[in-house]
Amino acid sequence: MTQPSALSVIRNRAAVAEELRRLLPRLEEDFRAAKTLPLGLSVIDRHLPRGGLPCGALHEIVPETHGATPAAFGFIAALLIRLSTPALWGEVGIAACSPPPYGEGSGVGVGRLDAGLDALLQPHDPPPFSPPHGGREKGKLFFVMPRYVRSPGRLHGHGLSALGLDPARVILVETAHRKDTLWAMEEALRSRVPQAVAGMIDKLDLKLSQRLQLAAADAGRPLLLLRPAPTLESSATTTRWRIGTATAARDRFGLIARARWHLTLERCRNGRPGEWMVEYDHVAHRFSLAAALADPALSRGAGEEAFRKTRRA
Amino acid sequence: MTAAGGPRIAALNEAAEAEGLKPGGSLADARAQAQSLQVRTVDPVADSAALRRLALWATRYTPTASPWSEENGADGFFLDIEGAAHLFGGEEMLIADLASRLQQNFSLPARLAVAATPGTAWALSRFHAAPLTVLPSGEEAAALAPLPVEALRLSAETCTALRRLGFKSVGALLDQPRAPFAARFPTEFLRRIDQALGRVDEPLVPIVAPPVYHSLRYLLEPIFTQEAVVALAGRLMHALVHVLTRDDVGARALRLSLYRVDGAVETIDIGLTLPTRSVSHIARLLELKLEALAAMQDAGFGFEAVGLAVTRAEPMPARQTEFNVDRHPEMLAPNANLEERRPGLASFAGHLGWPPQDDDDVERCAALIDALRQRLGPHSVLQFEAVASHIPERAEILSPVDGEAFQSPSSARKRSTAKSRRVESSGTNGEERASHDEASEQTTRPLLLLPRAEPTEVTALVPDGPPRRFCWRGVTYEVAGAQGPERIASEWWRLRTPHSSAHSRGSGNPAVNLEENLGSQQALTRDYYLVEDAHGHRFWLYREGLYERETTAARWFVHGLFA
Repeated sequence: MTQPSALSVIRNRAAVAEELRRLLPRLEEDFRAAKTLPLGLSVIDRHLPRGGLPCGALHEIVPETHGATPAAFGFIAALLIRLSTPALWGEVGIAACSPPPYGEGSGVGVGRLDAGLDALLQPHDPPPFSPPHGGREKGKLFFVMPRYVRSPGRLHGHGLSALGLDPARVILVETAHRKDTLWAMEEALRSRVPQAVAGMIDKLDLKLSQRLQLAAADAGRPLLLLRPAPTLESSATTTRWRIGTATAARDRFGLIARARWHLTLERCRNGRPGEWMVEYDHVAHRFSLAAALADPALSRGAGEEAFRKTRRA
Repeated sequence: MTAAGGPRIAALNEAAEAEGLKPGGSLADARAQAQSLQVRTVDPVADSAALRRLALWATRYTPTASPWSEENGADGFFLDIEGAAHLFGGEEMLIADLASRLQQNFSLPARLAVAATPGTAWALSRFHAAPLTVLPSGEEAAALAPLPVEALRLSAETCTALRRLGFKSVGALLDQPRAPFAARFPTEFLRRIDQALGRVDEPLVPIVAPPVYHSLRYLLEPIFTQEAVVALAGRLMHALVHVLTRDDVGARALRLSLYRVDGAVETIDIGLTLPTRSVSHIARLLELKLEALAAMQDAGFGFEAVGLAVTRAEPMPARQTEFNVDRHPEMLAPNANLEERRPGLASFAGHLGWPPQDDDDVERCAALIDALRQRLGPHSVLQFEAVASHIPERAEILSPVDGEAFQSPSSARKRSTAKSRRVESSGTNGEERASHDEASEQTTRPLLLLPRAEPTEVTALVPDGPPRRFCWRGVTYEVAGAQGPERIASEWWRLRTPHSSAHSRGSGNPAVNLEENLGSQQALTRDYYLVEDAHGHRFWLYREGLYERETTAARWFVHGLFA
């Protein structure tokens, strides 16, 4: 019998997928033109709408516990770095036709097909040594820091620099009231000057989150919002990430090589939630999977294992 | 004033003169003579600026005021009162008025003289017995004759030479034949005599008042509402734009004065990051400011006049603008929200993803920062600035964003070098600026730094080893792994006493201050550890003091948190 060419199956599925992709969001709003920011990790990007974080949208980042706040800051910094490095951006065209979120490993055949689709359609991971400083000296990033919110510390430029973010591009805006905080975020977004706005807020109700989401969508700029630990209420956010701490990846000398975070994608509009253990490489500006589905305790001090896991990813 | 043989005295106040001190004497002698001597370093730039302001004030008497240059002593000014004296009731009345106003307004004791030539007036004001002198025209020679030779505005060398030759007074010189003097002395000598006697004209360089950018409008009906004030301010700014454009300057600071019907005046100051001439931008900033101030609550019976003045103008060269239709509506329209919803622009937003950093963007960035500042306060928009110091809390300061910061990315290097040069020239108290690149290469620095290091209780196996367990903010952390130490020694050139600089600046008694400082303890060496607990919390801890060398009871501090 003639072999059903894998290619035709792929094309069919791709066509169907593309059709669905086009129809589904149109019911809600038109964001075809909006850009997306792939995290560069296909395992995560597959969960996100059209293969990446939508750019003109509100993203909430919540630490799992109060002690994980520095990790949440670190994740925000990592996103800002990836955002401001154009070399790391996936092509919009490719990202737009990423496959629909089917279940992983639902069957051998499908699994293979998924793999094939992945290979064809996923935005490829950037080469690990892509020039990380290609996107330097681009636009400004605004960080809205309320003075009244108890934060474990204040942002340190040398620390940002150590993570790979040029502190000269960061402008801190300090606010004294919640009203001012919200206003500053909205003002910065609406002006379309910064490439991204990040901020911290203590309380946010549904209506205000809708307003921020609209401002971000209108401006086409992302708003990364750090919210305090037990944020459970609903909001109009596009994604909500919960960040937990994890023991860092160590090199063969036992020194801390890469920060490791426990990421939970709790909410994702037009995507699926998920949970990963990722590490962030501040040199290549790149996320990699640390110990997926494994007990965090196992990953401690295991450089070898991390390497294997990365390859699996 | 610094000269050979130590600092010298440049000028004295009355109390010091009463002690018997003299200008030109050495500071050490003066200190010995007067116990409670207060010393300030001479600042010629500030002096000349102050003199210039005073000369500008004096233009109330006559339009031609000329501050004295260095060769005239730089401590006074000429006024050409030809044709202006009668307005004040004669020359005597004029200088009496001038003297009393100087005394009242500025508490300056003045010596004034009126003469037909600037040279004679200068000589009389300095050397005549009476503080106020009016010399009728034609009597210059007679009036100058008893004065010492210094009254001719000669250089110190010439005066000394003349005194050696036996010429003590001007009168002795005037009768002598000119030829031998012309051969022996610089031409300056005869020129000064001629100028004093009116044989040669001495042109005065009149001071030019800085241009005033101000527009004012009186209203038939008083206005109350914020919208009306903003609209009117916009119109006033519009009137100023032509003048500003003509002089190639833009406004860096503005003041809006609202004159209430009952006579009270309210002023609103606006500062800008970059010089601007944009009417809409200023109107928007005013709107924000008025909202924040809620000045409208005490509008009373309304405002009958509104004035707008540019209090600080800076050069703003004309530049070629890009002919880009899409970009202008959002830049110029103050409330661009409606515009942004246009579908055409929405798709354009995606295209805007990576705009080239051109002047347009710089301007919009400045506009945004201005707007944020108007509402949130002048010190709310900050940027990181690296400082060349290896003490972590000193290695960086947060400074308000200034206009240079985002001029153009390519000139970032130039700017930083220019800045450091400026710091060097400004004196010794400026910290050396550094860049984050140089400072944080190959070092571990936390993402979050605590505003001040917090003491913590640490259990360690050995006194100079890494921590095993520590308690911070009421939580006990078991250390799973520690990395370090990174040893950071104190900056020995910086003394620990925080008040030392303040003391020495007061310079009441420097010798005692120095002893205090030497006696005070130097800051201790710190050993920094990157510590991770079993749950993955990463901390930056340090131990203060080297064990058994600097201290026996080392204290531990938490200084930062890693991502």
